[in-house]
Amino acid sequence: MDTRKTGHEPPDPPEAGAALIREPDEPVDVLLIEDDPQDAFLVEEFLGETALSANITWVETLAAARRHLPTFRGCVLLDLNLPDASGMELLREVLTSAGNAAVVVLTGLDDEHEGVAAVAAGAQDYLVKGQVDGSLLARSLRYSVERQRSDENARQLRDAELHARENMRLERGLLPQLLLDRSPLAPRSFYRPGRKRALVGGDFFDAVDKDGTTHVIIGDVSGHGPDEAALGVHLRIAWRALVMGGVAEEQLLPTLEEILVSERTQEEMYATLCQISLDKGSEAPRIRLFGHPPPLVLTHEVTEVRAVPRPPLGMFPEPEAEVECFHFPRGATLMLYTDGLVDAYDGGDGTERLGVTGLARIVGGVLAAGVPVGELPERLVNEAEQHNGGPLQDDVAMLLVTHGE
Amino acid sequence: MDLKLDHYTEDDTEIVVVEGEIDVYTAPRLRELLIDLVNKGNFHLVVNMEKVEFLDSTGLGVLVGGLKRVRAHDGTLDLVCTQERILKIFRITGLTKVFGIYESVREAIDKRKSK
Repeated sequence: MDTRKTGHEPPDPPEAGAALIREPDEPVDVLLIEDDPQDAFLVEEFLGETALSANITWVETLAAARRHLPTFRGCVLLDLNLPDASGMELLREVLTSAGNAAVVVLTGLDDEHEGVAAVAAGAQDYLVKGQVDGSLLARSLRYSVERQRSDENARQLRDAELHARENMRLERGLLPQLLLDRSPLAPRSFYRPGRKRALVGGDFFDAVDKDGTTHVIIGDVSGHGPDEAALGVHLRIAWRALVMGGVAEEQLLPTLEEILVSERTQEEMYATLCQISLDKGSEAPRIRLFGHPPPLVLTHEVTEVRAVPRPPLGMFPEPEAEVECFHFPRGATLMLYTDGLVDAYDGGDGTERLGVTGLARIVGGVLAAGVPVGELPERLVNEAEQHNGGPLQDDVAMLLVTHGE
Repeated sequence: MDLKLDHYTEDDTEIVVVEGEIDVYTAPRLRELLIDLVNKGNFHLVVNMEKVEFLDSTGLGVLVGGLKRVRAHDGTLDLVCTQERILKIFRITGLTKVFGIYESVREAIDKRKSK
């Protein structure tokens, strides 16, 4: 069973035991590395006697073996005494070069200890010349190949688990517990990783109440990969630290931009961002929009917040311009989101994307159907997937904050 | 949908013709082309986006990266685009003020030369 995948999905966990359920007469590829023609002849004779069907390739030196090893997937039968290499050094090179092959070592009667050492170093088995017959050889080859395959499956499973744990760690860093105990805003957050992603993207959000003003942020680091996700974590934590440390509101994003520029690993990385700041008792929050799609205000209708966007953070730093306000009445909900939602296809011929207008239309439809705001994110993603004709390609992060009475 | 790239010289300007989707998978090719053109001494670029069907955040990053590169040599990177759905992306991201966006290659070249 070949569980390797091309593309960007993590490998599926291999089916347990699948490698062992095999036809017994499936041929085994054998790469025989043996300089003694007589021993090589014996191996061929022995295998000829058994039911095992083997395709034998015979080479006499390590130098000749080198061009087979990297692509070889079968069993290497290795004499540890070759004219151009020997012992553990030889074994190590073969094990490293033939990463997909099983290795069985041939030793002389007097160097059986070498065989034991070889197995400790990673060989699947060892055979002592002169004590081998056909059935022992065939069994050893068959067993070694199967064991190599199940090791490979176990390794892929372990990789998949490590990967999942890594994603969980990053997600915890990107999507925190919100600090809104004393705020008039009640949050509801949602995150779903995209289809084509092996690793979480750089979507992040946060909300902190500080000295009577609630600050809410949602952001998205451009590009997909571990560097972007890590930068998203840096930015989110830096922003929280700046807010909690009492940095003046108008200084928050210019400072965050400096942090982004100093922390990014590539000049091209940037982040889109939307920050909302609402004073207690006010219905007119301030909005700062840096290349991010505008939030929606949900009342009995759905309104796109109109604000003049500035370029994303990290592109062309400029001093803060005049800040804009919008109407956010009590009882209304503000919906912040990342572009995974608006980049979904809008049905039909598969060329039009939803865009902010399409998203507002879907939100309006879902709310009109009587869906409570608390269930909105899941329903929205379902609707967007239906329009998209399948799971969304990009990550979706949503943060809904409801302005308490 | 894949990405097709082409380029030619017109009036001391290197015109890059992009067709298809500029996304996280295809953007690296556009990046390489822009870097290559700048390394060969082309500092006035026009990217013709008329046949671009989709542009994502990575693609935007590549265009901005190209702009920064030519600016480092006192050069220009202008765009040709009349498609509403692509223009919308530049408006949302506040980049209409950063890039010169024109209706034709001719207009882009003329505007630059008249500056």
